[in-house]
Amino acid sequence: MNDQTEHYPEGRQSAMLKVSGLTHRVSLETDTLTILQGVSLEINRGESVAIVGRSGSGKTTLLGLLAGLDTPTEGTVELDGAVISKLSEDERAKLRAQRVGFVFQSFQLLPALTALENVMLPLELGGHEAPEKKARELLERVGLGERLTHTPRQLSGGEQQRVAIARAFASDPVVLFADEPTGNLDNRTGQAVSDLLMALNHEQGTTLVMVTHDEHLAARCGRQFNIEAGVLTEPDTHTDEEPVI
Amino acid sequence: MVASRKLMSIRRDWRERDVRVVLAALMIAVATVATIALFASQLQRTLVSSASSFLAADRQLEAENGRPIPDAWLTEAQSRQLKTGQMVEFSTMVFGADNFQLVSIKAVSNEYPLRGQVEIQLGPDEPRQLVSSGPAPGEVWINPRLLRLLDTNVGDTLEVGNLELEISGLLVREPDGGFRLSALAPRVMMHADDVPDTGVIQEGSRVEYVYLFAGEEAALEGYYRWLQPQLEPSHEWEGVRDGETFSRSLERAERFLLLGGSLAVMLAAVAVAVASRQYALSQRDTVALLKTLGVSSQGIGRLYLQRLGLWGLAGAVGGLVIALPLYWLLSRLLSDVLERPVDYQLDPAALAPSLLTALVSLFAFAYPPIRRLRNVPAMRVLRSQPGESGREALPDLTVALVAIFGLVWMYAGEVSLVLALLGGLILLLGTLALLGWLMVLGLRKIRGGGNAWRLALVGLYRHRRASLSQISVFAMTLMLAATLILVRTSLLADWQAQLPENTPNHFLINIAPDVVEDVDAFWQDRGQPLDQLYPMVRGRFTELNGAPVKEAVTKDERVGALNRELNLTWMESLPADNEIVDGEWFSPGQTRGVSVEAELAEKLGLKVGDELTFTIGSEKVTEAVTSIRTVQWDSMKPNFYMAFPPGGGLEEMPATWITSFYLPPVNKNALNEFSRRYPTISVLEIDHIIERIQDIVRQVTQAIEAILVLILAAALVVMAAVVSATLRDRQREGALLRTLGGRQSLLVRSTMLEFALLGLFAGVLGVAAAEAAVWALQFRMFEGEFQWHWAIVLPIPLLSAVVLALFGRWQLRPVLSVSPMLLLRRLE
Repeated sequence: MNDQTEHYPEGRQSAMLKVSGLTHRVSLETDTLTILQGVSLEINRGESVAIVGRSGSGKTTLLGLLAGLDTPTEGTVELDGAVISKLSEDERAKLRAQRVGFVFQSFQLLPALTALENVMLPLELGGHEAPEKKARELLERVGLGERLTHTPRQLSGGEQQRVAIARAFASDPVVLFADEPTGNLDNRTGQAVSDLLMALNHEQGTTLVMVTHDEHLAARCGRQFNIEAGVLTEPDTHTDEEPVI
Repeated sequence: MVASRKLMSIRRDWRERDVRVVLAALMIAVATVATIALFASQLQRTLVSSASSFLAADRQLEAENGRPIPDAWLTEAQSRQLKTGQMVEFSTMVFGADNFQLVSIKAVSNEYPLRGQVEIQLGPDEPRQLVSSGPAPGEVWINPRLLRLLDTNVGDTLEVGNLELEISGLLVREPDGGFRLSALAPRVMMHADDVPDTGVIQEGSRVEYVYLFAGEEAALEGYYRWLQPQLEPSHEWEGVRDGETFSRSLERAERFLLLGGSLAVMLAAVAVAVASRQYALSQRDTVALLKTLGVSSQGIGRLYLQRLGLWGLAGAVGGLVIALPLYWLLSRLLSDVLERPVDYQLDPAALAPSLLTALVSLFAFAYPPIRRLRNVPAMRVLRSQPGESGREALPDLTVALVAIFGLVWMYAGEVSLVLALLGGLILLLGTLALLGWLMVLGLRKIRGGGNAWRLALVGLYRHRRASLSQISVFAMTLMLAATLILVRTSLLADWQAQLPENTPNHFLINIAPDVVEDVDAFWQDRGQPLDQLYPMVRGRFTELNGAPVKEAVTKDERVGALNRELNLTWMESLPADNEIVDGEWFSPGQTRGVSVEAELAEKLGLKVGDELTFTIGSEKVTEAVTSIRTVQWDSMKPNFYMAFPPGGGLEEMPATWITSFYLPPVNKNALNEFSRRYPTISVLEIDHIIERIQDIVRQVTQAIEAILVLILAAALVVMAAVVSATLRDRQREGALLRTLGGRQSLLVRSTMLEFALLGLFAGVLGVAAAEAAVWALQFRMFEGEFQWHWAIVLPIPLLSAVVLALFGRWQLRPVLSVSPMLLLRRLE
């Protein structure tokens, strides 16, 4: 395993995410399963990072820990200056509401709400002054200006993911976590969705942390990490260049 | 807050299946409880007022000493907002056109009757009508039999003492159809104001003054507390609930209604608990997403609490909207049965329990699973997390049991009922746990395979948790319904046994010893054989173990039997409906001893071996108690507190004979011939009393049927709701099976089998638990003995299997009619 701090000495750039010695274990009926083992990494503001690995390699668990959806067994995660592994569940929720956006493989739209309402939801929860106006703008930006009143069931998979992307950017997050954002989509639609994601990310200057097993998508990120059996490595082929959009 | 408000809106909720189930269950619960409570409260009013009309009032005060009560007593009653009325009863000779006849006069004041109505005819062929007063001054109403006896007609005059009164109607039925000895001769009713002018009542005449009271129960009780210390032995205070004949019927009716109410509560609770758990499970993804978007645990808690409040409101309002028309309908039905209008009254006190039920159902049954939504991990958005193992639900179960206990207690007010039901439930749950374990053991061995049986069994195993919870709910529902059916059946049978067809409806009293055989022959010839004839000697119980009885017994224990002459008899064999509870019945040839009625013995503290002395005329008879026996006072046969053996000292005393028999209405004219031939024998007609009792039984039966139908309907909806909760999974599986090449017929057969097995299991368990509960109930409440009820033991499990199989088939419709792909997509 590489020593990440060697490549990104403290203070070189302001870090959005600092992870050190992250280990995660779950207790099963008979024994304990180690899902992540001593993961350390640092991601800077505005960077786009892909974590690539096979099914069961631990990448989704890592994403959950980075985003503060779960707490690690050992180690610390610092997100935008806050040590989230030390925060209470509710403090983490508050942090997520203010600074974090999500895009999921299975879209996770509320079936009871229309496209517009799904995008408005985080805005309303965050106390935004004009949630509907902003939600409309975002939906127009993702090309769904005509589908505002449609419910998820009336939208195709690609359209649903575009609504989810609009929702993710609605609260102006400083960091966006994406879990296999094209995993449920065909190649062409997946391509369109990832184009949109990258473009919005670039426009908003958001830090992007993406988990995927799609190497093409991963290649569009500034940096890539591999994860295998819970151990994170950064291949030597990485570049520090601006991501290709 | 458009989106978040919409997320919480009832209209939005209603579009989700699970919420629909919760709301429907809540509405049904509130509606059932409210309807039952409203109807039960109305029935109670009807029953009490029906029964009150037996006294023509709520209470009566009889003065048997021939003197009116002090005016101050009536003034006091009126000052307590009680309505009062008066009656004077006496026997006298009246003269018609050519004949005279001994009659029993009842002179009533303007207020009579305070309760009930008088049924009269304006002529022999005129229709019967109900009026709320007695005859006006100057008029009389007479028993129709008197027309023949006096050879007179409506419109003629009747001489009562010095006064001539116009016969303005025929008296068909008095609301207080009396059972008093003064009322033996044919009845004539007149106005009380006319009595002084008749000159009939002289010093020393045998007259009974009766005072009527009606009003609020509390006022009546308060008045009685005031009055009691001033009452003399010759005064008798009588209330509906003291009447032996009706009190038991009323009590049982009340208990049954309460039981019905309690079962409704339990059904409601089951429905709400199951549906809300399903709902909570379906909300886990939404909660995880909301948490991911930054909503805190408290925020989630608040959100769902708010939602629960909205449901409670919607459930209560919706339930009442259903209940009120239903109640109206039931009132109409009741009114048809009674052939008179019943007051459609919204008793707020009756609505309160239903609203309280809604509240308790929500917070004891719906809230716990929903509360746990706060603990759903946000991580669930990324990866499905282990679901609930069921262990978390254990505290819920405790809360639920305590809540059920409380609710049923509130309804029934009786711990034994609650314990019986709860015991049945716990037995059921225990059996279910065992069954579940056995099922898992048994079904684990079955693998795959093509035939429907195997698929059905595998299905049961695969859904074992859902199967078990469905079996539990069905079994509980069936148990509750079966309990109700069983209790209803035994209650009705009990009532019918109490008043079988041909219950004696006439008494012959005052039969002289020398005509006993002739009288027997008279009725034998007319095909109406008499029941057993009993000799009757009037005597007073004066000494207990040599001491004056009024000193031997403390004042509190003094009972009516000490204040008046008792009817003493002798008999060889114990009447069939009497039962010896202590000592032994007279052996053949025994001439000494006395058998005492059990309740009186208990009140006076009499034991076998006590020496009782009776004063008969100037003679005294002393006998030791040889047995204590129970008596069926409502058997409509002659009953005696004190029975002596034949050949004893009593036989030397002057006796008359008494008997009862059944006389069908068509043969009533034989009474006229009998009265003419035996003018000294009194005929007591109690056919109308029996009719009234049967009326009450019919009303109660009707009410019970209505409540049963309601509860069964609720049970059916609860079952449907529970099965619907797993609809989605089953449809998805069905679609998958079809996609994988399963033939439609296989799918149909295996699904129907799976549901039939569920129904069968639930039916067997439910019936067993019901039998246990009924056994406990009968033991504690209805004083019956345990027996298996084959009428439900077999049909209920079979019926439940068939109904559920059909229900399963019905659920499968979309799976069969739509292409599997479309269905899978739709269910995604």
